[in-house]
Amino acid sequence: MKAGQVLITGCGIVCAIGNDKGQVLESLLAGRTGVGPLKYLKTGHTEFPVGEVKMSDTEMERAMGIAPGTPTTRTALMGMMAMHEALGQACLEKDDLPHVGFVDGTTVGGMDKSEQYYLDFIDNDSRNAYIGTHDCGSCSEMIADRFGRFKFITTISTACSSAANAIELAADMIRLGEADVVVAGGSECITKFHLNGFNSLMILDHGQCRPFDAGRAGLNLGEGAAFVVLESAESAAKRGVKPVAMLSGYGNACDAFHQTASSPDGEGAYLAMMKALDNAGLKPSDIDYINAHGTGTPNNDLSESQAMKRVFGDVMPQVSSTKSLTGHTTSASGSIEAVICILALQNGFTPVNYAFEQADEGVIVPNMKLAPDRELKHVLCNSFGFGGNDSSLVISNVSNN
Amino acid sequence: MYQTIDILSVKQISIQQPLCEEWMETPLTYTGDFVRAIDPDFKQFISAGEARRLGKLLKRALATSLSALNEGGIQNPDAIVTGTGFGSIENTELFLDALVREGEQMLKPTQFMQSTHNTASSLIGINTKSHGYNSTYSQKGLSFDSALYDAWLQFRLGKIRNALVGAHDEMSPVFSGFVSKAGHVKNGEICSEAAVSALLEADSGKPAMCTLKSVQIMNMPTAQELADVMSKISVDAIITGRSGNPENDSWYSFLGSDVPQCSYKPLFGVNFSSSAIGFYTAACCLKAGRIPSVMNAGNGAVPCRSILLVNVVEGRHYSFTVLEAVCGK
Repeated sequence: MKAGQVLITGCGIVCAIGNDKGQVLESLLAGRTGVGPLKYLKTGHTEFPVGEVKMSDTEMERAMGIAPGTPTTRTALMGMMAMHEALGQACLEKDDLPHVGFVDGTTVGGMDKSEQYYLDFIDNDSRNAYIGTHDCGSCSEMIADRFGRFKFITTISTACSSAANAIELAADMIRLGEADVVVAGGSECITKFHLNGFNSLMILDHGQCRPFDAGRAGLNLGEGAAFVVLESAESAAKRGVKPVAMLSGYGNACDAFHQTASSPDGEGAYLAMMKALDNAGLKPSDIDYINAHGTGTPNNDLSESQAMKRVFGDVMPQVSSTKSLTGHTTSASGSIEAVICILALQNGFTPVNYAFEQADEGVIVPNMKLAPDRELKHVLCNSFGFGGNDSSLVISNVSNN
Repeated sequence: MYQTIDILSVKQISIQQPLCEEWMETPLTYTGDFVRAIDPDFKQFISAGEARRLGKLLKRALATSLSALNEGGIQNPDAIVTGTGFGSIENTELFLDALVREGEQMLKPTQFMQSTHNTASSLIGINTKSHGYNSTYSQKGLSFDSALYDAWLQFRLGKIRNALVGAHDEMSPVFSGFVSKAGHVKNGEICSEAAVSALLEADSGKPAMCTLKSVQIMNMPTAQELADVMSKISVDAIITGRSGNPENDSWYSFLGSDVPQCSYKPLFGVNFSSSAIGFYTAACCLKAGRIPSVMNAGNGAVPCRSILLVNVVEGRHYSFTVLEAVCGK
């Protein structure tokens, strides 16, 4: 391992297709979707399928040893589950945390409780404790404080690219020697607030979402959390921990086109991918797989396809969107899909683009084969958010190094 | 790499006169626990049609940003990094209120879209056609500090030559009540609003207000860690986030009393973007070569060529920003 390298020495994930890496890997290899009828969120919009985490708040509280009645939020609870798994794999204990930074990503924050207790906030004092859990930053503090005293905490809120941007800041901190170890990613639960918000924008599919398909009609909301432990090569060597993958490069660019739509030529997405490749010192032909943002909206998938064609030309690597398996996990999607990429690198397979049937004009044809024996060296992971906040990560295999 | 990071311009909209430095001589004073910002005439920055569509936070973000860019002579900054504790809370509240009281029908997409925290950074990007680095931080009163820290890292990595860094928080009457219940503002503090945009450029060669030396952020540091930080910093004056609220003010006791200390919160109130106001006042003071008497509880001006800004959030997040006067000035 060379100086300046940003290693990934641990990761944790919870989403609709599994409560940990083992379950998620199993679902990915089987091509099994976690999108289905609503179970946990209390909403009148039962017509929309969603990718919910298959645990109630109470079950997560119990799993994390949170005393009943402690003010917490679903976003924080899912974050704790993913953090627990990530710290465990990286062999980081409570005493290590004063040397570890934490960069979280969320946008919804504690809205699940705010929408439940809003009238109490106005009329009485019974739920005041939940006012303090409303904002994004409080969510990150709850996740961190469950484990100990991190040396640094901040929260990025760039909508659906929040977790990817959190990983980018963390990597910059490592490269500059601001920290030896930084945990980064994002967490976001489904709320009535943004289910209705996406519905008001008319971008929710009433059936299973179909990224890149000719008949795609919108996205399915999902939820979850994932964190990666980024670490300098020196620190990993000193601590004697083995990397699971390497973050080779990353890029962030702004589409500067529209608050909720992507430009026809995917300029922001194109720039983010080009920056990431340049940052990694790689050529487009070095990329073996792209985990696309691929939400399933007509606009995103066409725009992203145009951007990928501009970057990769006629030699398009295998592409898939895993959002038809997990749902669109919004602020957490960048890290959830980064962990999916790590699992693909470690186990040598290309995740399947579930529910794709028919190719569309101008849109890439995604991978539909469950191919468990393909060696991957470098993969690209795209996350694009409202406001044209576009980010790409290049994650590389370390097993041959 | 660069020799200096020059702060070319910093613009504010707050409970003091907007987009100017009148507060340094004749500040407005307030009684009461909730005061909204004084808005400038937005016409010079935003068309009437756009102004109708945008919430207060976004109008202010655009006005301070365009004003800062204009003064610094830059049209498309390499990076746009913004902090906001609550985002566009008025639109969030309107959407939430309709959702809770009227049910899940007829909700307005514009309110939802504006409730997303990164709309300010995005709007500035769209408005200035800036395709560069674009990010948004939401960490309570540490949001601006986080944005500034990120920009500082981008400079040090050589990824950018200039950056527009800001923080914007608005407050509605309903949420100001929530904020007070949650204890974010208390003991005589004024719950206020702030929008601040700062334009930074490496080795600009242009007239600058001051230069940025360093940014450091810590979570729950020990007394020893705080002492270590302070032992490495030598400045003429410290600008703190003291507000008059004894609980808040006690978090600054580790600073001792060797270096003169001043504060901005009694003039500008308290909100999640307060520390951006602190940064703005520090830049103004270094440009003037003195901290005005109004920031020193009326006890006379404090001459200074270097300032440490200290921000403590809820007694757990600490940030240290060092600013220096332009060399040879």
